[in-house]
Amino acid sequence: MSQDRNESFEQLERRARAAFDASVDGLDAHTRSRLGQARQRAMSIAVGRRQPARRWLGWISAGALAASVLAGALLLRGPTVDESAHQVSAQGEAGAQESLEAFAASEDLELAAEADPDFYALVDLAALSDAGMGQT
Amino acid sequence: MAAFASLDAAIRRLADAEPGLHEESRLEASHARELDRFLAGVERRAFRIAQITLRNTDDAHDVVQGAMLRLVQHYAQKAPDEWRPLFFKILYNGIRDQQRRRGVRARLFGFLPGSGRGEDESAVDPLEQVPDHGPGPSDQVANAEAMRELERGLRTLPPRQLEAFSLRCLEGLDVAATAAAMGCSEGSVKTHYFRALQALRAQLAEAWT
Repeated sequence: MSQDRNESFEQLERRARAAFDASVDGLDAHTRSRLGQARQRAMSIAVGRRQPARRWLGWISAGALAASVLAGALLLRGPTVDESAHQVSAQGEAGAQESLEAFAASEDLELAAEADPDFYALVDLAALSDAGMGQT
Repeated sequence: MAAFASLDAAIRRLADAEPGLHEESRLEASHARELDRFLAGVERRAFRIAQITLRNTDDAHDVVQGAMLRLVQHYAQKAPDEWRPLFFKILYNGIRDQQRRRGVRARLFGFLPGSGRGEDESAVDPLEQVPDHGPGPSDQVANAEAMRELERGLRTLPPRQLEAFSLRCLEGLDVAATAAAMGCSEGSVKTHYFRALQALRAQLAEAWT
């Protein structure tokens, strides 16, 4: 019974394979041509892809090396003449601003602003009177 | 003359200095040739399997082309004996994707007249079905009839059984390679294959006797 079943399965497999192979062999020229073109496209991509990938890899490595060298140079070098001048001028500006602030904050300026001319005239008069009294 | 001798010596020195480069390019060329041969040997069978499963010639072409591209782009460096199961695994993934896309399309545009209809037998150009060469007319007719019956039977199989039958019987992969291509255990392959055989025998017994 089991042997019969196996034989029938084997027969089925044989016939299926034969029918399938015949249908593959009988593919029309147009289909075969399309398949061939598809294969050539795939192969051309596979073969052509590798070279540019390597070129790009080389460019990426060179770019990374150049960037690291530039970064190192920027970190290691001292300040340039322009930067020194910029720093000096910045210091000068800061000093002038401090002086102006100190001047503005001083009491003299407040006195000068609040000065009353009558007060000074009165002081002068008192001084004169004191001197006259001493003379007399 | 002396200049030629020195040039020749320089070329020989360069060749000796980078033997790896020459070896690699030679290997790549032979690998590419082998890959091309492999694809040439498998493309028509893959196309027929895709055509039977998808019932659409253009979709079958798309799926086979996609499988070829994917194989050469991602697995070309693999050993040649690994290509076959990998290729069919990619092919069946493509077939499943195509079927999914078709299902979504049918759901979205199913209300339109004529949409969702696959390419059936009536839509096939009869001229394309004429074989260019092969056995005699009577054998061709018999084979074509047997294939039609087989296709009808295959289309009634669940996807995994169809996959197991196509790979094991039609492609001739062994159980291990079929399991690798299907991404399942060898036991599952045997089960799917046995059920496919049983179903096909029940359907084809009358037609093929």
